[in-house]
Amino acid sequence: MTDAAIHTQGLSKSYGDKPALHGLDLTVASGEIFGLLGHNGAGKTTTVNLLTTLLEPSSGHLHVAGLDGARDPNGVRRLIGYLPENVQFYDNLTTVENLRYFARLSGLRRPDGRIREVLEYLDFTGHDHERVGTFSKGMRQRVGIAQAIVHSPQILFLDEPTSGLDPQGVRNLREIIVGLNRDLGMTIFMNTHLLAEVTRTCTSIGILSAGRLAYHASMEATTRAFPGEESLEDIYLQIESQRAA
Amino acid sequence: MTSTLVVARKELLDLRRSRLLIVLLGFLAVAATVSVLVQAAQLRVSIDQYHQYVAALRASGSTLTAAPPPLFPLQLLRGSVEYIEVIGALFAIVAGYGVVAKEKQRATIELLFTRPVGRHAVAGGKILALATAWLVAVGGIMVAVTVALVLVGNAPLQPVDLARLALTGAAAWLYLVLWSCAAMGMASMARRPTTGLIIVLVLWLVVVLVVPQIGDTMDPDNQVPGGLFKSLQITTADEHTVMAHVAAYDAVRNGLELSSVTKHVERLTFALLGIKDMFNQLPVAQVLTKTLANSLSLLAGSALATGFAVLSTTRRTLLRRQS
Repeated sequence: MTDAAIHTQGLSKSYGDKPALHGLDLTVASGEIFGLLGHNGAGKTTTVNLLTTLLEPSSGHLHVAGLDGARDPNGVRRLIGYLPENVQFYDNLTTVENLRYFARLSGLRRPDGRIREVLEYLDFTGHDHERVGTFSKGMRQRVGIAQAIVHSPQILFLDEPTSGLDPQGVRNLREIIVGLNRDLGMTIFMNTHLLAEVTRTCTSIGILSAGRLAYHASMEATTRAFPGEESLEDIYLQIESQRAA
Repeated sequence: MTSTLVVARKELLDLRRSRLLIVLLGFLAVAATVSVLVQAAQLRVSIDQYHQYVAALRASGSTLTAAPPPLFPLQLLRGSVEYIEVIGALFAIVAGYGVVAKEKQRATIELLFTRPVGRHAVAGGKILALATAWLVAVGGIMVAVTVALVLVGNAPLQPVDLARLALTGAAAWLYLVLWSCAAMGMASMARRPTTGLIIVLVLWLVVVLVVPQIGDTMDPDNQVPGGLFKSLQITTADEHTVMAHVAAYDAVRNGLELSSVTKHVERLTFALLGIKDMFNQLPVAQVLTKTLANSLSLLAGSALATGFAVLSTTRRTLLRRQS
């Protein structure tokens, strides 16, 4: 468990009497790019919200970066970065002002140097002093990644990161995700329902179905286990049909 | 820098760039200043008339002297204080609602709460920003009306008058912070911020307009313009004797007025500025002693509203789903 970036045991969440996640047992090793797949409403966002401490679990345990999410939520928050689906910012503030705000909240005292570094890494210079309210979806997504990594987190959580992006934007984002993992050794936990994205980006996958983890393996093991299948879509549909049966 | 200060700094920057807030504050400042200008112009006319009268008296060879009209230049601020009480409170509600509603509706709160912020840092930072914004706004308005008093009203202000103005400004500041905190707290607590806004607007209607209006209407002295007792040339001592016969009625009327924090602010500021005749000859310390209950009520109201905002602006309420 100590090597695991993320470890959950019997993690459950209900909204009132509506269960959203049932006893999730999941381990994601450090340095992985993990893709969590599932239909809309399968419990993906609930899982990310629990792991990022935005939600409190109804039952079960979660450890993120070796820290107990229930006992030391602020410790977890120091070590994670988060990019929500449809990220929004303070529109009256510029790129740098938004990033400075989030960096300072993460404990960086003089964040300007780090902000410059991150914007250069993301190839997003030249928009530093423009107000975020004027940005396109793709530009916002870059600022979103920048705010998620400005404090050099160990684990990055991405909720449907390519949602609403054009094909070029999707490709750029995929390169960034792989780069962050390769260059900075960041563990990445990604929620998506786009199978092609997972095939090209992830080193391991999990499939959530009706709030339960129906499948979890490395991409390598997955392609070995389903040799006759042509795509992850087929695997996904096969797992779903097995579960339904 | 603590997370409370980080949040406060960002909120101030956001407020400073909010066109809506700038327009509202500008409107309030202009309304308050114009009110002083109009009253100051009227004061100049009455002073000129007095001088003309004295000159005419001298020209006629009369040895009679004419007593100058009572001059209490701070009384000219009556309209400005009323603008702050009514419109200022409304704008304070808009500002307090805005700092929470924007975060909830745009989901920026999720980015905020995945950061290691302290338990009350978000609430504390937002309140600190609102309090600072109102301090600047009230300070600006007080400077504008003072300049108008001096330049247009030719008001010979003494240091004690400046102290009265500063105390009036402090009361106005506490009052506006109270309304901003009430709005912030309700917008946080309600599942939908707009529901919170509606509740505070209803509260504003009752506390600022309805209750004081009922109190004023019930006041026997208000039945005639200029005051019933004054128009009947009844002395203050006799007025008290008359009112003793309707003590129960007056207690109900007074109690009703005292349930409104706006009325407390009005009584305190009107006393400080000498708008109420019974206070305009008293030193500041005595005015403050006589209006201690009003000051304490205002302080208690502000403390309650601030506490309410702190306790209701939490992770749980801000992250609660709106649907």
